[in-house]
Formats: sequence, structure tokens, C-alpha cells
Amino acid sequence: MDLFINLAINGIATGMLIFLIACGLTLIFGLMDVLNFAHGGIFAWGAFVGVWGYSVTQNFLISIVLAVIAGLLIGLITEYLIIRPVYGNHIQQILITLGFMLVLSEFIKVVFGPNILAAQKPPFLQDYWLVGDVTIIKYRAFTIVVGFIIFVAIMAVLKYTKIGLIVRAGVMDKEMIQALGVNIRLVFIGVFMVGSALAALGGALFAPSSGVAYAEMGMEFGIFAFIVVIIGGMGSVPGSLIAALLVGLSNVFMAYYVPSLAMAVTMILMFLVLIFRPEGLFKVSGVSNK
Amino acid sequence: MIKTLQKSTWVYLFTGLMLVLLPFFKDERWFLFLMIQIFVFGIFAMSYDLLLGYTGIVSFGHAMFFGVGAYSVAITLDRFEPSFMSLLLGIVIAMAVGGLIAFIAGILTLRLKSHYYAMLTLALANLFLVLAEKWRSLTKGNDGFTFQIPELPGGLEDHRNMVIYLFCLVSMVVIFFGLKRLTESPLGKILVAIRENEQRVVSLGYKIMPYKVIISVISGVVASFAGVLYAISIRFVDTSVFAIDMTLDALLMTIIGGVGTLVGPIIGAGIIEFAHHYLSELSDVHWIFERWIILFGILYILVVIFFPSGIVGTINHKLATRKQRKKEDEQSDKLAS
Amino acid sequence: MTNTLLKLEQINTYIDQFHILQNVNFEVKSGEVTVLLGRNGAGKTTTLRSIMGLNSALSGQIVYKDEDITKLPAYKIAKKGIGYVPEDQGIFYDLTVGENMRVGMRQEDEATKDRMEWVLELFPDLKKFWKKPGGQLSGGQKQMLSIARSYVNDNDLLLIDEPSKGLAPVIVEKVIESIEKMKEKTTVVLVEQNFYMASRLGDSFFILDDGMTVHQGDMKELRENEELKRKYLGIA
Ligand SMILES: Nc1ncnc2c1ncn2[C@@H]1O[C@H](COP(=O)(O)OP(=O)(O)O)[C@@H](O)[C@H]1O
Ligand SMILES: [Mg+2]
Repeated sequence: MDLFINLAINGIATGMLIFLIACGLTLIFGLMDVLNFAHGGIFAWGAFVGVWGYSVTQNFLISIVLAVIAGLLIGLITEYLIIRPVYGNHIQQILITLGFMLVLSEFIKVVFGPNILAAQKPPFLQDYWLVGDVTIIKYRAFTIVVGFIIFVAIMAVLKYTKIGLIVRAGVMDKEMIQALGVNIRLVFIGVFMVGSALAALGGALFAPSSGVAYAEMGMEFGIFAFIVVIIGGMGSVPGSLIAALLVGLSNVFMAYYVPSLAMAVTMILMFLVLIFRPEGLFKVSGVSNK
Repeated sequence: MIKTLQKSTWVYLFTGLMLVLLPFFKDERWFLFLMIQIFVFGIFAMSYDLLLGYTGIVSFGHAMFFGVGAYSVAITLDRFEPSFMSLLLGIVIAMAVGGLIAFIAGILTLRLKSHYYAMLTLALANLFLVLAEKWRSLTKGNDGFTFQIPELPGGLEDHRNMVIYLFCLVSMVVIFFGLKRLTESPLGKILVAIRENEQRVVSLGYKIMPYKVIISVISGVVASFAGVLYAISIRFVDTSVFAIDMTLDALLMTIIGGVGTLVGPIIGAGIIEFAHHYLSELSDVHWIFERWIILFGILYILVVIFFPSGIVGTINHKLATRKQRKKEDEQSDKLAS
Repeated sequence: MTNTLLKLEQINTYIDQFHILQNVNFEVKSGEVTVLLGRNGAGKTTTLRSIMGLNSALSGQIVYKDEDITKLPAYKIAKKGIGYVPEDQGIFYDLTVGENMRVGMRQEDEATKDRMEWVLELFPDLKKFWKKPGGQLSGGQKQMLSIARSYVNDNDLLLIDEPSKGLAPVIVEKVIESIEKMKEKTTVVLVEQNFYMASRLGDSFFILDDGMTVHQGDMKELRENEELKRKYLGIA
């Protein structure tokens, strides 16, 4: 029982981190019809900036803020230089964002050096609580809480604010929302920046929990995020939360019981979705997968 | 039209012949090895362009075919005695498995937006990478393993590298002409039509899925064969054959050389392999050359934005407009006189 | 002419490589309902989309309130006070009726709130379905929502594309009444195949055929001209 709860907490924490990358990806896809293969690179940048920021300032909060700012900036650059020239051309988008992913990863090595960086947890999140005979690692609980807060915040913004309604409406019908007087381009840039910042936040939270930051983590987690977006339904935020938790949990449990099949189980989930429900668990109207 | 076709065919054959003669003049090990890499990656990149350039399908997991090819032949030669029979068996297994994977990926995602094939293949390739790392009894994990290739008869064994060079060259030329035939066949024409305007092809009453799946399978089979050659040429295999870098190499070669042509990927392979070789040597001069992939990444992005048809495509386009202009000039001259 | 609100001069619009509108001329006077007629595929929707900036004209000029808006992006055109009710209604399916109304508001000030109340009196049904997703409304309800959404802003011009299409006569009557009420406040361009509706609401008309303006005049004139009606509108 102790083990089970531990694994579950670990799985949910992992799922929350994947959710942070996936939700930006899914919104960008739904709204702009752009699948950003460079998104994972921003996750890696978030991790490195966070680790670097913490080593310099010794202040966890500041390091997180720095990572988020880096995410916003990289998001802005990506939208401006990389995505804008290729709107409307899927093939070019896919090609160019993957190329940018390559550049982002390599640039990490240029800026932070080619080696793996060690990441530390801040002192106040280093140990664990004992609840009965269950140990709860503080940092994991912290990750879960942050992920959950972000999810609730995103949902509240999408549900209750005007800008949220505009984003949702834009996902369904880009033309009509413009005919109602909305400059969708500005909304695009905003969503792109926020989505990138969330990925960077995910990276900054991930590094301390795994203890390391390495350039290839962008691709690795980027792949998880794509899978999650497919399973959850392109354009759906709740869908990506459910799918991220599913992937996180199944990975952690499999990694414990049948380690060699951990990756396979995620893939099997995706295969099942592609065969039986290619639009994903949550279908968003107006977003087509054809 | 037929005349120009023949002319280009002669050019290709002549170039091929020159390449056959090349090692008799310059037979240093590193050079032969570099050329072999170019042939192998030329084949790999051609298979990639069959999808990207001719059909408009983006694969981000092409490395898995390459890797499956490499591991199939390596494992077969390692497990059985290194005879030509085992080699042949390895090649057959490689191509069959490669084709099967491509078929599955194709039927699952080719009816959906282009993103899906890209993502599925990316994820699948990652799965194979993990599989190769974890299935140690078969693959020896991250360390990889060396293996023997069949001994050549008579005095040829002394010129082994030369033989491999020729074998890879001939394979590339044969595959080149085979794919050329394929792309100029009615099937190839339909593929290009699908790339240009999928809706139109559908409204003409064609079912496009089967065509896309067929091309995906052919591409997978050819890519697996490239993997076979790769493994044979270095007599060693490890998990790096499944790495995303392999796919990125094919992508760079195709994009920089020129999408939608078959010479383009080969030229791209030449450029990238030579650049790789020389730029790495330059890393003593300036650190940026050690991160040469950044330069290529940026170059690649610029090419995608500004020259979406690559070197060969852009040259072809220039030639075509020049020819057109010449024709018009001639006509206006005629009218004037 | 001071009371011309909108004027299209020699408009040419392409969809992909197809030349859809060919030198279309079209004029709308302030305070009137101008009806745009023509058979299916004549280019009526494309004309509205060109005005709206959703399918900008390649050449020619669109002048609104003495200002050239031909090349402006759609959102800027909308902000100039032009409301659009597209042929497919443009309802956001996953948004509720209330959210659809709110997302359509360019401002959320007192005046808008007053107009909202007025609109809800006009279409009391909408209040009943306030929390229902737009995708679950019936065709008539969607049409009313779309029209209501365009009324909520302080628009000087409304472009309404075939509002009677596929609706039951009772509902058509409701839509007509609402437009009659709106007529007192704004200028309207109405695309309509339903001649009954067109003749009840219209002050003047334009007929499009094959992407060209072929006729224009007072609605009164068209009511009596059997030949025109037969030739371009297929009404015996
Ligand atoms: N996406 C499109 N591609 C090609 N032709 C189109 C497209 N949309 C509309 N058309 C053509 O443009 C013409 C005008 O269409 P439209 O403006 O919708 O006519 P109307 O609203 O008068 O029925 C029609 O002949 C139609 O076939
Ligand atoms: Mg119409």
C-alpha cells in the first residue's frame, strides 16, 4: 500500500510536468494549427535557466521566474522568426520547427556548456513528510500542487475571462472571431508566449526533481507531450491533463514493475487512440485531424 | 523531352563511372570511408525524399528503418556464421521488418493530418531506441557490438574496403535508377498530384490512402537497406542508429540538396558528410565548428523559408526560366525578322 | 452624395486561382436596407466577404464612410462598426449562448449592456437557452443568436447573409420582424434568395450574376418587373 501510494504520487507528479509542456502545445495547435516541434526545446531551456538561476541566486522562486521569462522570450522569438513565415503550410511548419528544436538544443550546449548540469532542490523542499507509514516526498507534492494550480488557472481564464473566450472561439473558428473585431494575430502571439512559458516552467520544475538538466531532455519530453496531445485530443486542455496523468502514471508503474516496457505502454495508449478515436479523448469542435 | 531525359541519364551514368574509377586513384582509408558514408546516406536520404519531396509526407522517425536494417543484418551475421547466406537472410529480414513497420505507421496515420505521421514515427523511433537499449541479450545495449562479415573469395579479401565501396556505389546507382523509374511511372505522377492538391486527386475519384501507404512502405524498405549497408561498412552497430540525429541528417541532406528530386538528396549527403568531416577538424580553430550542427540548423531553417526547393530545385527552376526566356527571345526574334 | 455609406467600385476578388468577382459595383445608402440578389453561386457571399476583409479584393476600391477599407484586415473593418452574420451563422459550437454573445461584444460598457437587454427582448428564446452550447441549438436558434450577436455592438452597417435559409416560415417571420426593428438603428445589406423576405425589407436592390453586377434599382421596381425576376431569380 505504501509502495502503491508512493508510485501514484510519483506518477501524478510526472504527469503534471508533462501536462505543463502539453497544454501549451495543445493550445498552440488548436488555435494556430501549428504543431511546434521546438516546444520541447523550450522545456529544456527552462530547465537550464532554472538550474543556472538557482546556482547564481540561491533563490528558488527567482530561478523559476527567470525560467518563465526565458520561456516568454523564446516563445516570442519562435513565433516571430520561425512560425510567422510559414503560416498555412503544414509541411514547412513541421520541418522548420524541428530544425529550430535542433538549434535550441545545440545552443544550450553553447551557452551552458556541453555537460549535464546537476540540479538541486531548494532546502525547504528537500525532505519528506511521514503520513502514517506513507512517506511523501515534498518536492513531488509541490510539483503536483503547482501543476494543479496552473490547470485550474488556465481553465478559469478560458472559462470566465473575455480573452479566454476569445482563445476558445479562435480555436473553433478563426475567421469569425476576426469578423467580430478581434486581432487574432495578437492573441496568437500571446498564447504562443504563455504556452512557451509553461513549458519552461515545466523544465525548471523537472530539473530539481530528477537532479539533472541535459540538452536532450527537450526531445525526450517533447515526444511525451506530443503523445499526450494526441491522446487527449488536439486543442483540449482538460484532455491533455487527463492524458498526461495517464501517461505519467502508466510510466511510473511500468518502470517499477516491468521496466523494459515503460515506453511501450505509452505507445500502446497512443496506438489505441489512433485506431479507435483519432480525434483523441476530448474532441474540440472546429479542430480537425484530417 | 525524351532527349533531355537521355542526356541526364548519360550524365548520371558518366558520374557513376567516374566514381567507380575514383578509388583507383585515391584509396586512403578515411577517404573511401567518407565516400561510403555518402553513398549510404545518399540512399537513406533518397528514401526520405520519396516521402517528403514526392508525396508530402513528413517522417520524423526515419532512423528506425535505418536502425532496424543495421541491427537485422548485424544480429543475423553475429548469431549465424558470417556467410553470404546469413548476409542475404539479414538483408531480407531487414527489408521485411522495415516494410512492415512502415505499413503499420502508414495505415494508422496517413489518413490524418501530416502532423500525425511525423509524431507517430518520431515516437516509434524513440521506442526502438529504448528497445535497443533495454533488450541487451539481443543488442548488447548501449555498448553495441562488432561482428564479422563474410570473407571475400580469393585476393579480393585484401581489397575489402574497395569492394564495400563498389558494392555501396552500385547499390546507390541501382536504387537511384529504380526510384527514378518509380517516380516517373503513373504511380509517381499520382503521388506528386497528391502532394500538390490532395483534394483534387480525391475528387478525381482516386483513393489516396493506398498510394501513400505503398510509398511509405517502399521508403521504409529502402531506408532499411541503407541501414544494412551502414552496418556492413563499419562492422559494428550500436543504439546511435536509432537516434533522432539520423533522421535529422536525412532531413538536412534532403532539404539542403533539394526536395522532390533524387539527385538532390545525394548531393545533400555529399555536402553534409564533407562538411561534417572538415568542420570537425576546424574545431581547433574556433569552438563554433565543434557545434557545427548549429550552423547547419540555421542554414536549414533559412533554406526552408527562402529556398523550399533546395539547391537542385532552385537550379532547376533557374534553368527552366532561362530556357523559357531563351525560347521567348527566339520567338520574338523570329517575329521581328 | 453625402448619404452613401458604403461603395464598392470595380471589385475583383479571387479564391485561389479562380476569378470570382469581376468588376462588381455596389452602393449602400445610409438608413436603407439594400438587398443583394442573384442565384446560387452568383458571388453574393464572396461580395460580403470582400467587404468584411475575409477575402480581400485584389483590385478595385471599397469605400466605407469616405474611407478606403479595401485592404484592411477583417478585425479593423469590424471595429469600424460593421457587423457580419455569415451564411453558416458563425456560431462557436463549444461556447454557450451567453459566451457567444459576450465574445462578440467589442466593448463591455453601459451602452452595450442596454443594447443587450433590448436584443434579449427581441429574442427571448436566447435567454431561455443562455447556458446551452451553441452547437446544440436548432437552425433557427443559431440564426437568431448570430443576428443578436451582431446587434449587440454599436454597428452602423450590418451584413446579413441569407438569414432565411433552411428556416421554418414562423421563424422567418421573426427574423423579418427583428430586422425591421434594427432598420431603425442601422443600415443593412441583406443577401436573400427568399423574395418574400427581400421585398418586405428591401429599399433598393442589386442583382449579381456570374460575379458581375447586372442590375440595380429600387425594390419597388423589381416587384413589378416580372422579366428580371424570371431571368435572374428564377421566380415565375
Ligand atoms: N473555396 C472555393 N473555391 C473555389 N470556388 C469557390 C469557393 N468558394 C466559392 N467558390 C465559387 O465562387 C462562386 C461564388 O460563390 P458565392 O459567393 O458563395 O455565391 P453565392 O453566395 O452567391 O451563392 C461560386 O461559383 C462558387 O463555386
Ligand atoms: Mg452564398
